[in-house]
Amino acid sequence: MRPDRARAIIMTSAAAMAAIGSTLYLASYFAGGLLALAALAIFGFLRRSELGAEGFAAASRSMLKAAAVPAIGIASALAIGAAVMLATGYDPVASYAALFYGGLVRNWHISVLNATPLIFTGLAISFGFKGGLFNIGAEGQYFVGVMAATWLGLKLNLPAPLGVPLVFVVGMLAGAAANLIPAALKVKTGAHEVVTTMMMAYAIRTLSPMFIRANGGDPASSAHPYATAQIGERLWLPLFKDVLPASNYRLHVGVLVAVAAAFAVRFVLDRTDLGFKIRAVGHNPIAARTQGISTARITFATLLISGALASMAGVTQVLGLDHRMFQNLNAGYGWNGISIALLARNDPIAIVFAALLWGVLDAGGQYMARTASTPNAIIEIVKSVILFLLLAEVVYSSSGAAIKRFLAGRKAARAASEGGRS
Amino acid sequence: MMETLAALFTPQLVEATVRLAAPVILAAMAAVVCERSGVTNIAMEGIMLVGAFFAALVAWYTGSPWLGLVGGAAAGALYSLFFAWAAISLHFNHVVAGAIMNILAFGLTRYLMMVAYGRQGTSNAVARTLHDYKTAIPVLSDIPFIGKAFFDQTPIVYLALLSVVAWAWIFKRTRLGLSIEASGEYPMALETMGRSVVKTRYTAVVLGGVMCGLAGAFLSIENSNSFTEGMTDGRGFIALAANIAGGWRPVGVFLASLFFGFVDALQLRAQGLGVIDLPSELFLVFPYVATIAAVAGLVKRSRPPAAVGKDFSVEGGGD
Repeated sequence: MRPDRARAIIMTSAAAMAAIGSTLYLASYFAGGLLALAALAIFGFLRRSELGAEGFAAASRSMLKAAAVPAIGIASALAIGAAVMLATGYDPVASYAALFYGGLVRNWHISVLNATPLIFTGLAISFGFKGGLFNIGAEGQYFVGVMAATWLGLKLNLPAPLGVPLVFVVGMLAGAAANLIPAALKVKTGAHEVVTTMMMAYAIRTLSPMFIRANGGDPASSAHPYATAQIGERLWLPLFKDVLPASNYRLHVGVLVAVAAAFAVRFVLDRTDLGFKIRAVGHNPIAARTQGISTARITFATLLISGALASMAGVTQVLGLDHRMFQNLNAGYGWNGISIALLARNDPIAIVFAALLWGVLDAGGQYMARTASTPNAIIEIVKSVILFLLLAEVVYSSSGAAIKRFLAGRKAARAASEGGRS
Repeated sequence: MMETLAALFTPQLVEATVRLAAPVILAAMAAVVCERSGVTNIAMEGIMLVGAFFAALVAWYTGSPWLGLVGGAAAGALYSLFFAWAAISLHFNHVVAGAIMNILAFGLTRYLMMVAYGRQGTSNAVARTLHDYKTAIPVLSDIPFIGKAFFDQTPIVYLALLSVVAWAWIFKRTRLGLSIEASGEYPMALETMGRSVVKTRYTAVVLGGVMCGLAGAFLSIENSNSFTEGMTDGRGFIALAANIAGGWRPVGVFLASLFFGFVDALQLRAQGLGVIDLPSELFLVFPYVATIAAVAGLVKRSRPPAAVGKDFSVEGGGD
C-alpha cells in the first residue's frame, strides 16, 4: 500500500473516532471522551511525522500558549466571582464545587441542551461580524424561528424525514425575512443595524403573545394560559436515548445539527466565493468595492444569512425540546450569542466550545442555586468578566510586550557588562 | 372618528409625552455627548439599568428619593467610567465594550437584587418617590395646552429639559464643547493643541453616565416606586436612535426624543381609553416601530462625527 493512501485511511478512521467519541461524550457517555482523546493522539502522531520532532514541539508549544490565554482568563474570572461571593456572604468553595459537579457531571445533558441554541445564535452573530455587521437582534430572529416551527408543527402532518427538513427551511426563510427590513434600510439609507435589528427584536417579542393566543394559548383557561398547543409528535427531533439508552430522556440530537452548522459556516466563509466576499467587505469595504464586489449586495446577504442561522436556534428548540412556544420566554439566547461570538473570536469551531462553556455555567449555576443556595446571577457576572478578560487582548499583549522589553533590557545589559569585561 | 381623536389629543397627552420622553431625552443627550467626543456608546441601556437599581436601593435604604437620585447618578457615572476605561484606555472596540457592559449590567443588577432584597423580579417599594415632589412653576405653568406639560413636572423631567439647554449652550459657547467636538471630528488636532483626547473622551463618557443614571432613576423612583429587572426595555437603544434621528445636535435630538415620548404616551392612552378594540400588543409595539421608521427616514440627512467609534492613541497617529 502506498504511504499516502495508508495515511488517508488512518486520517479518516481517526476523524470517525473523534466524531463518534465526541457524540458519545455529548450524550453523557463520558468514556467517549477517551475515544476522542485517542483520535487526537493519532492526529498528533501523524502531524509529528509530518513536521519532524522539532517542528512538532514548536507547534505544540504555540498551541499551548494559545490555550493559556483563555485558561488564565477563565481562572481569573472565577477568582473574581469568588471574591464577589466572599464579599456578599456566600461560600465560594461549595458554590464552585456545586457549579462544576452540576454542569459537567450531574446535569451535563442540560449543559448540552443549553449550548445547542447558543451555537446557532453564536454562529449567526459571528457571521455578521465577519461581514462587518453587528446583528445584535438575534434574539428576535430566534423568536421568529420558534414561531415558524410551532406554526408548522401544528399545521403540518408529514413524516419526519420530509417534515423536519421542511420546518428547518421555512424557519430559516422566516428568520432571514425578519432581517429584511434592517438589511434593506442598511443598504438604502445606512441606518445602523444595531438600532434596527434591536428594535425588530423588541417588536417581535412584544407581538409574540398574539401568536400564542392564536395557536392554542388561552389566558382565560388554566390549561395553557401562556403557551401554544403542542406540536405533532411526528416532527419531534430524535433523542440520543433512542440508540444510547443511558442518556437523558430530554437530550435531542439538535446539538449534532448545530455542530454540523458550525462546520458548514466554516466551509462557506473559508472556501466559497461568497465567504471570501463577505470577509472582504467586513475587512475593508472600500477595498472590496474597488475589487468590484457589490458591498450592498453582500451586506444584504450577510444580514439575511445571519437571521436564518439565528432562527435555526428557535427551530431546534421547538422541534427538539419545548415542542411548543412559551410566553414569558425569556430565553436570552440571542444576547448570549453575542458573548459566544466574541469569546470565540468568530471561529465557527471555537463557537461550539464557547457555547458548551456557557451551557455548563448556566446548567451548573442552576444546580448551584438549588443545592448551595448561591444566587445563580453570580454566573452572569462571571460570564461577563470572562468575556471582558478574554477580549482585553491589549492588556495581555502590552503587558507581555513590557515583560519582553524588560527581559531584553536585562539581557542587553548583561551582554554589555560581559562585553566590557573581556 | 373625530371624537376618538379629540379624546386622544388632550393636554394630558402632551403632559405624558414630555414625562415619558424624559428618560429618552437624558439618555439621548448622553449619546450626543459621547458620540460627539468620538466614543460610540451602546452601553447606555446597561448604564441606565445600573442607575435605576442604585437609585431604588439608596432611596429604599435611606428613605430619601433625593439621595436615591444622587445614588443613581453616581452609579451611572461609576459604571460608565468602567466603560470608558475599557473603550478608551484598553482600546476595546467601542461596540464590543458596550455590549459587554450591557450583559454585565443585567447580571450585576440581578445578583445585587438577590443580595439586597433576597428575591428576583421587583425590588421593595420606596417610601417616597420623586413623583411626590411635582412642582408647578408659577405663571409659566398657566400657558394653555403646553404649560402644564413643561412647567408642572417632576424633578427629573426638569433635569432632562435643563440638560438640553445646558448641552446646547456648552456646545455653542464653551471650551469643553469645542474640545468634545474636536475630539470626535479630528482628535489629532485637539492633541496638537496640547489638550488631551483621552481626558476629553473620559469626561464626555462620565457626564453621559450621569445622565443615563438619572434616566434610570426616573424609571425606578419617579415614574414608579421600585426597580424591576430589565425595566429599561430598550430605551437605551431608542435613545441611540433619537440621537441619530436628531442629527447629533441637542435641539434636534430633543425633538426626536419628544417624538418617542409622544408615541409612548399615545400608546398608553389609546390602550387606556379602549377606544380602539385591538390587542394591547399592537399598541405596545408602537415605540419600536416608530424608532425604526425614524432612523430610516432621518438618517440620511445628517452625518455622524468623523472619528466616532475610532480608537485613538497618539502613537497610532490619531486614527
